[in-house]
This record gives sequence, C-alpha cells and structure tokens, in this order.
Amino acid sequence: MSGFEPVLLRNVGVEGVRTLKVSESRGGWAAARKALTTMTPDEIVEEVRRSGLRGRGGAGFPTGVKWSFLPKDRKHTVLCVNFDESEPGTFNNRYLAEHDPHLVLEGILIAAYATRADLAYIYLRAEYHELFHILQRALDEAYAAGWFGADILGTGYRLECHIHRGAGAYVCGEETGLIESLEGKRGWPRIKPPYPAVRGAFGRPTVVNNVETLACLPAIIERGAEWFASIGTPGSTGPKLYTVSGPVNRPGCFEAPLGLTVRELIEGDDFAGGMAGGRKVKAVIPGGLSVGILTADELDCRLDFTDVLNYGLLGLGTAGAIVIGDDADMRKVLANTARFYAHESCGQCTHCREGTGWMARIAERIAAGAGRIADLDLIVELCGRMGMMSGMSICGLPDGAAYPIRLIVEKFRGELEEAIGRQPPGYTERYIRDRIPSVYALPVLQAGAAPARERAVPA
Amino acid sequence: MATIIIDGREIRCRDGINVLQAALEAGFDVPHYCYHPGLSVVASCRLCLMEMKMPDPRTNEPQWSPRLVPSCQTPVRDGLEVRFDSEKVRANQRSVMEYYLVNHPLDCPVCDKAGECYLQDYSYRFGQAASRVVDPKHKNPKKDIGPRTLLYQDRCVLCSRCVRFTQEVSGTSELCLVDRGHRAEIDVFPGRPLDNPLQGNVVDICPVGSLLDKSFLFKQRVWYLRTAASICRGCSTGCAIRVDHHEDRVYRLRPRWNPGVNDWWICDRGRFGWDFIRAPDRIVSPQICRGGEAGRVDWSSLPTMIRLRIEQVVRRHGPTSVAAILSPEMACEEAWLLGTFLRGLAPGAPLARGPVFVEGQEERFPVGCAPGQERFIIRPEPHPNRRGVEAVIEGLGGESADLEEILGRAAGGAIRALWVVGGYPRPDWPDQALLAAAEKLELLVVQDMLPGALTRRAHILLPFCAWLEREGTFMNHAGLLQPFEQAVQPPEEALPDGQYLWALAGHAGLYRAARVREMMAAGLPGFDRPHVPPEEPEHAH
Amino acid sequence: MAWKAIDRITPADDDGDAPVLSEAVREKIRSFFPRYPEKRAALLPALHIVQDAVGYVSHRAMRDIAELLDIPPAQVLDTVTFYSHFWTRPRGRKVVVACRSLSCHLTGAEAVIEAVKRHLGIGEHETTPDGAFSFVTEECLGACEQGPCLLINERLHGRVRPEDVPRLLNDPDNDRLDVPRSDLYDGIRGPTGEMEGRA
Repeated sequence: MSGFEPVLLRNVGVEGVRTLKVSESRGGWAAARKALTTMTPDEIVEEVRRSGLRGRGGAGFPTGVKWSFLPKDRKHTVLCVNFDESEPGTFNNRYLAEHDPHLVLEGILIAAYATRADLAYIYLRAEYHELFHILQRALDEAYAAGWFGADILGTGYRLECHIHRGAGAYVCGEETGLIESLEGKRGWPRIKPPYPAVRGAFGRPTVVNNVETLACLPAIIERGAEWFASIGTPGSTGPKLYTVSGPVNRPGCFEAPLGLTVRELIEGDDFAGGMAGGRKVKAVIPGGLSVGILTADELDCRLDFTDVLNYGLLGLGTAGAIVIGDDADMRKVLANTARFYAHESCGQCTHCREGTGWMARIAERIAAGAGRIADLDLIVELCGRMGMMSGMSICGLPDGAAYPIRLIVEKFRGELEEAIGRQPPGYTERYIRDRIPSVYALPVLQAGAAPARERAVPA
Repeated sequence: MATIIIDGREIRCRDGINVLQAALEAGFDVPHYCYHPGLSVVASCRLCLMEMKMPDPRTNEPQWSPRLVPSCQTPVRDGLEVRFDSEKVRANQRSVMEYYLVNHPLDCPVCDKAGECYLQDYSYRFGQAASRVVDPKHKNPKKDIGPRTLLYQDRCVLCSRCVRFTQEVSGTSELCLVDRGHRAEIDVFPGRPLDNPLQGNVVDICPVGSLLDKSFLFKQRVWYLRTAASICRGCSTGCAIRVDHHEDRVYRLRPRWNPGVNDWWICDRGRFGWDFIRAPDRIVSPQICRGGEAGRVDWSSLPTMIRLRIEQVVRRHGPTSVAAILSPEMACEEAWLLGTFLRGLAPGAPLARGPVFVEGQEERFPVGCAPGQERFIIRPEPHPNRRGVEAVIEGLGGESADLEEILGRAAGGAIRALWVVGGYPRPDWPDQALLAAAEKLELLVVQDMLPGALTRRAHILLPFCAWLEREGTFMNHAGLLQPFEQAVQPPEEALPDGQYLWALAGHAGLYRAARVREMMAAGLPGFDRPHVPPEEPEHAH
Repeated sequence: MAWKAIDRITPADDDGDAPVLSEAVREKIRSFFPRYPEKRAALLPALHIVQDAVGYVSHRAMRDIAELLDIPPAQVLDTVTFYSHFWTRPRGRKVVVACRSLSCHLTGAEAVIEAVKRHLGIGEHETTPDGAFSFVTEECLGACEQGPCLLINERLHGRVRPEDVPRLLNDPDNDRLDVPRSDLYDGIRGPTGEMEGRA
C-alpha cells in the first residue's frame, strides 16, 4: 500500500523483537517514558480524545470518552485488557502480540497511567497457549526492567500487571462478562448501571480496553493526536489491523488506514491477494462473524465505523473478514453460524438462551436438507426479537447473533429457497416426524459427569 | 413519594423502589419471573420489559424510547412515564412466553404446580396458543437435590431465584448453575445437597414446577386446596403462614408475606413441623375420671360439671386453693377466657405460665452474617405465645405466680384444684415435678393433645386442639400480636378449645376470637387491634 | 406415582475422603492470591493449575479448591462447568482440539475432523482406550488464517490437510512448543517430569 507505513505492525519480522532489548532499540517504550515523565494523566486522556481513537474491540466507542467516565474522586482503578479475542475470523490481537508483545505492554502502561490504574489484568483467552508464553515472558522482562511494579521510572507511579487466563467462553469478551470471569465467576454479563467505569472489577472503577486499542497509544503519544487523526476517514481515525481468512491466496493480518474497502482487502496485492483455487467471492463476513454478511455485489463497502452501516451491518466489528467462496453451501454457513451462538450464549437472558438454541436446531435441520420455507421466516423473526439494541438482553451477544443469521437468510434467501426446493418431496415431513418423539441430544460443552446413579422419588 | 405515570395513570409510589414493584403495588399485572422483592435484581427473564419516555437528545422533549427497558431494573423517579399497554411490550411478552415452551415438556397433567404455575398463567394471559416448534426438545434428567426437594430441570425457566435465595437469604449456597446457554441447568454439588433450615422456600419462590417438595409430590391438585391465614407455632418469631387444606386435611404450610417479621420466608421447622396433628391417639373427647374409671362425657353437660367441681374445692379450701397453669401454646383469647372463668369462681386463684422449653441456639440467616444483617432468625423458644400468655396473666390482675411456686403449694396442700394446659407436642412434657404435684390434688383438670402420664392422672381431661384447628392470636418475641384463622376442623368429637372455654365462661353461641379480643381490650389495651400483615400485591409472586 | 431422578445427594465417584491436591499445588495456587484484591479471583488460575497437575478437575479437586479459596463447592462447580476449557472427567494425555468455526469450516475443517476421528477411532469428547488422546471440537481458536487448524495440547497446527492427520498425530513432538515456556499456570512437576498433582 503506497504511502502508508505500518504503525502497529512496524516490528513484524524484526529478529528478536519479542525481547525488551530489541524492542527498545526499535523505539519501543519511548512513548511510555514520554507519557510518564512529561505528561499528566489528564493530558493523555485529552490527547487520546483528540486523536479520535475508537475502540478496536467491536463496538467502536471513543477511548478517551470511555476513560472520562471514571469518577474523579476514585482511589483504586482497574484496567482490564480485553484479550479474549474469540470472534470467528478475528486474530489481529493475537498476531500483533505474537510479533510485538512489548508494544502491547507499553500501551497497557500508558493507558493505566492515563486512567491512574494501579492494577492491570490482561484477560487472555485460554486457547492462546503459545501467545501466553510469549506475553508472560515479555511481561517478566518488562517487570525486571522496572516498567511495571513500584515507582516506575522514579515517578512514584505503581502498576501491577498480570495475565489472567480465560477458559473458553466467547461471552467473556463482553466487558462485564470479562469482569465477572476475572473475579472467578461464570462470565455472565452484568446489568448496567452501574457501569464498569463506576463499579467494575472487585467493586472498583474499571476500564476495559481491547489490545489493538491500547497498541495505538504509543504512536499517539509519540507523534501526537493530529497525526493520528490524519490517518483514516472522518470519524474513523488511525490505522487498523484487518484480518482475512477463508479460501483466499494470502490469508493473514494486514495494517491499513481505516476505510479500506472489502474489495481491496480481498484482492489487493498488499493484502489477501485474491481468491484461491479459481473461486469467486460469494459472500464476505467483513468484521468478525457478528457484524453480518456482504454479498459479492457489496464489496465496495468501506471498512470504517460508518460506511458499514449503509450495508445493514451491525458495525465495523473487529475488521476480521471471512471470505466465502462460490463453492460454499450457504445452508452450512447458516448452520455453522447459528451453532456458534447457541454454543456461546451465556444463558442468562431468555431471548438469547432459547432463541439461539432454537435457531441452531432449525438451521441444523435446514443444512441436513430438511428445511421449510417457513423456517426462513421464523429465523428472521427470531432474530428480530433478540438483542441489546432492542432492549431484549443484558449484553450485545444476541445482537451479534441476530445480524449474521438474519442477513444470511435475507441476503441469500434465493439460494436457500432454491436448496429447500430441491429437497425430495416429503423428506422434511419424514425428517421431522422421525425425530419428534425423540429428544434433542444436547451438544456437550465439556466432557460430562460420571454416569448417573438413579433413585425413585418419592421413595 | 414519587409520582410516576403507568399507562396514563398517575401512581404515587414509595421512594427507592423500581418501576415493576411500583406497578405491582398499584395493581398492574406485569409478568415477571426473575424479579423477587426479597432477592437481588438480575433482569434476566426479560418479561417485565416496558416502554419508557426519554428526553429526545435534540429537542429534550420526552419521547417513547425505541428500545424496551426492564422495569425491574429501572428505579422510580418523579415524573417518569412508562407503559406496558402497548403492542411492542405485548409482542415481547408473547415471544418470551414462546421461548419458555421451546423445551418445556408440557406435562401439566402430572405437574404439582399446575393451577398455581406462572408458566401456565402467563402463557394463558400473555402467550400464544400455537407452538411453532417442530424440532426435538431438550430432555434433562430429574435430579434428587436434597432430602426434601426434587429438581425437574425440564420445567425450569432459569430465573435463578432459587440460586439467589441460597446465596442471599439462607447464605448456604448449595444451589448453583451449571453449564451455559440453552444447556444451563440448576444443580447442587454432588454430596452437598440442598439441606438448610430455610430450604423449603425455594419451592415457594420457584415460579414454575421445577422445584418440588417431596412431601407434597403427587399428593393433591392445588385447585382443590383452600387457604387459611395463620401464624407459625414453631418458635417465637411469629411467622405469618398460609395453611393449604382440603376436606379438613392439611397439605402444606407456606409463608405469608409479613414485612419485618418473616418477610417472604419461613423455616423448615415451621413448614414441616405439624405432623403431630395427625397422631392417631389424639385426645378428642372430654373425659371424667370417677373411682379410677375414665368415661366420656357429653360436651353439653361439661360446663356445669366443671363449675360444680371447682366450686366444691373453693367451698372447702377457700378461693386461693384453685390455680391454673397456662401453656405458651394457648392463644391469648383462650388464656383470657380460662383465666376469667377461674377467677369468677375463685377470685384469688393464682395463674402461672406453663413451662417454656429451649431448643438449641438462635439460628441467624444468612449463615455467617454480621450482627444487624440478619434476613431471618429461627428462635430457640419453640412456642408461639409465651409473651401473649404472660400479658394476659398480667392483664387479668390478681396473683400471678411462677410455676415452681404453684407446684410447691400444690405439693404442700395449699392448692387443691389445678387446671393444667399442655398442648406441647413434645416428649419431654410433662416433667416429674408437675406429675408429683398432681398426686396431691383433689381436682386436676388437664387440657392436652396426646395421652401421657399427666393425662392419666387427670380427673377431668379436655382435648387440646392443634393450632391449625383453632383461631386466636399469638404474641411473638417482640410483643407483636398476630391473629390466626382456623384452617381445619378438629378431629371428630373434639371442639376447639376456644369454643368450650367460651361455653364454660357462660357465653352462648359460637366462639369468635375477634369478639373475645374486644372483651379483652378493657383490661388489655390494644388487644382489639392485632397486627394483620398487609396483603401482598395481587400479581406479585 | 414416582419418578426416576439422578442422585445428587451422595458424593460423586471421584470425590473421595482424601484430598487430591498436594501441598505443592496448593502453594502454587496460593501464590496467585496476592495478584487479586479478592481470593476468589484465583479460581480460574487454580483450575488451570489443577487441570494440569491432576489431569482434570475432579469433584474432590473442586472441593479442595473451594476450601482453599473459602467459597462453597457449588460455586466452583458453577464456574468450572461454564467454561469449555475445563474437563470434569479424565482426559487423554494429549487433547486434540479441532476448530469448527466458519473460517476453518470454509477451508476444510469437516474433512480434518473426520480424519482425526477415523485415525483415533473415537468420537467427540471421547478418549482413546490407552488414554493417549482425547478429541473435541471447539469454536474459533483464533487462528483463522491458518485454517483448518488443530490444537494438540498447547501446540497449534495450521493448514492441516486430512492426509496430514496420521503423520501429525503419530509425531511424539506434536505438542511441543517452539517458544520458551512460562510455567506460571503449570501444575507442579517432579524431577522425572511426572506430575505431582496427587497428594
């Protein structure tokens, strides 16, 4: 990409950059030094606010504004680093931290200092084993060098930073689900208010930020809010890590200013380099599974915080694109998507718990070749009933379920109807009839308990 | 006091409550499962969603907000305008009710909750008739989670009330959720069953037929049950209860809302501790012992006979030779009727309160809570009316003696006639001192429930009915006077104590506790105004 | 009328009288306490450590952890079962996790999953009779660019083709990481490398 120098991925491929020494030689930790020794926390908050940095985790909330919600008279503040990256199609945080762990840690220090946090937790998803070791060793090294702990750089500022490993639950990427999980509980999102900024982890004012968001901070401190704001499109400032997966020639993680089009991301030589094996694009899920889906006619969609809304999508999401080739069966895409949310719904709110479970069964049946046209209408209706945006739930997970499932059905209705039309006559009725007296075998979340002992009640 | 507008109606409501509570108190039927006023708010069932007016960000004019808001999670504030009577709200209720039935086995015919089930009621009122589910249902095993309670997971709506109860009220935390999403279930840690003194409440607060009381399982269809408002006799706390009965048979006791006394809860000791009323050997008819032979007498000839026998003792030995021991199991009215009756014949008759037993220690809940943070207390005094009986004795004036004093005088021959009221459903009643004193008497009148050493010595034996068969008032540990209704008839032949004491005192017609209280009020101010707990809002549960 | 109900009143079979956590494992769990303002927050770390030390989180282990963290055992059960990472019954020495989410699905995960099942002769959530392997599928592993991917214990294998599966599973080093490890979340290992989980 001409004219754009990577900001976040500038150290990718640099030998030994996971070590503090090489990182520092590449300018790492300089911004943290500048922030702690020459700026007040409020100046940093103001700088970040002016940069227009918006959260990279999916919701796109302005980071500086989020920080300003913290009560002025707070004593202890907790910074939670959301590294529970679990959105299908999304791996930018992993890629970034694997290649440049010290950039992430530096961002954490700056954010903690700006929010006057004395405790920072990196909530790292359990499946990232290799990354855990990379990050933990970088953290150990940074501690040893005095970047964490008591009296950092002789400023009197103290910050303890720990990696807290998750255990396989998508909903823990929701900020209050993350906090509950951090506290050692099931990751059931909390009702708001109180918002985490007021009462979060351990009852303390808490900020939850995504890894990529924090990784933007050193550059903002070093080069200024104006420079950062000059990258990208209005309202969507700064560089962004885009990821591409699916049957493309070069799946991977790429950095570009916000506002890249889906077409550039898939076809650009600097990016995914086109479809693999002579396929054509049938559809793209452009921002992690939850944002929804684009058809092959909608590839000019710009991936920033605003243009995606013109295509009926939930938002920019994580900018993790999943490309679907023309060889894919949309019934299976639908079933796979529905199953994901049924598996990951936390089970708290009725619409989400029952709705995702019901839709998964319907979609599974459609994929098995026993769909009905009425099922498509039912799925769209069920999708319309769930989500935080309509007030039906505590967190945004069901919105994230409703968008892709509804949009797959709506945008690919022709293909789905056609497939249903090709089913042998009477097959659906037989399929349903054969299963009705039986019961649904519950998909197992984890290996079950020991064989059950039974007894009669009342005895 | 805040004023809010619900469906166009102005409602004055208490400060600090939420809109759902305000709406329920104002009589609105707002469906809800997870909300319970005695538990923390989780806002997860999403049934109580409402429309709310919010200031338009541009014009600052109040506008109906496009998204629905949980009324349980929205505090009332002056001027707030909300509505439940809207298509949007009803559409949500319909859809939630449809979801609850996606996996529900629809086995109402064999469900104990049928008839008082909020899944039935809400489906009927807010749901829809037809099911659109063609796919197989989940099937979860039933779980034996405690000595008294069974969990039928398939019927569960996952409101988590039971889990929160064991965490927040009993403090025992036996219940938990396991797994997540549509596979989530209620469970206990195997080997750590639901077994705490308050556990029965989880069955009451379960809005559906998921948590079941084994002692009630398959026993009775609830639509046959009638309910009487009573007071628990298990300890001196004085919990308000409901007695569910059918054809003079008691089926279960449940708590009755009584803010500040027992709130929504009762303990298992009270809930299940009434089996004695079914004892096969209950004393049911009055008996007179002549020359070592006990014989039944007719209720109608009893007053004259008792009166004559007492008068005889007074004539021979003077007005202080007659005494009575009043049991803390009696109602205040019964104690007063008996006291006034005896004092009418023997004006100097000393009255003593019967023995008071102590069972264990005070049990405070949540377990391990700091002093002052108690949500429920089980008291060690296993009687409902010690303070009431003492108040009556004091209010009657004259000599009030303590028990030892009376027994001493009886042993010494100063007291020749003794009226002993028992009614303690316990094996350690009566004690040796009482039995020894009874030997010396010319006349021993005993009111008791079960036969024993004392009743065998009685010259006149009268049945003492269980409190569920009587009406009256108990005064609790704090001096709160609470009336209880008669739930069932006493066993055949028996008359409720109040009734025969009423006749003994020379009154005609039916005994009515309220009438007696009016009579009592002259000497015992306030007895005509006992504490009646407020009715729970009709649609609250 | 009566019903059959599962007995939850008597302890589970894997909940014996004797504690299963060794003092070394307990000490390791305690070392996490200072990291959090509340002891309970050490629950997830404790479960990771115990799963590594004992092999899975047995009911007895849950009770030991509950005692250590001063919480009711039901709360441990509640948390353990919420997360798909924890096993509540014995698992194989190597756990093979196949990603089943969309990116991997589109690049051929189904065939890989079938190949793994065929090679190991077991289904999902099952363990080979020799205890060498357990197999599960999971939602997105966050390695979408490498789809279809398999995780063998800690080691991620990307771009797996069905025909690679036998060679991959037969390779004794298939779970070895190339990067230096941190033992922060590990169970306690003895001098021979054997886990010293059991007391």
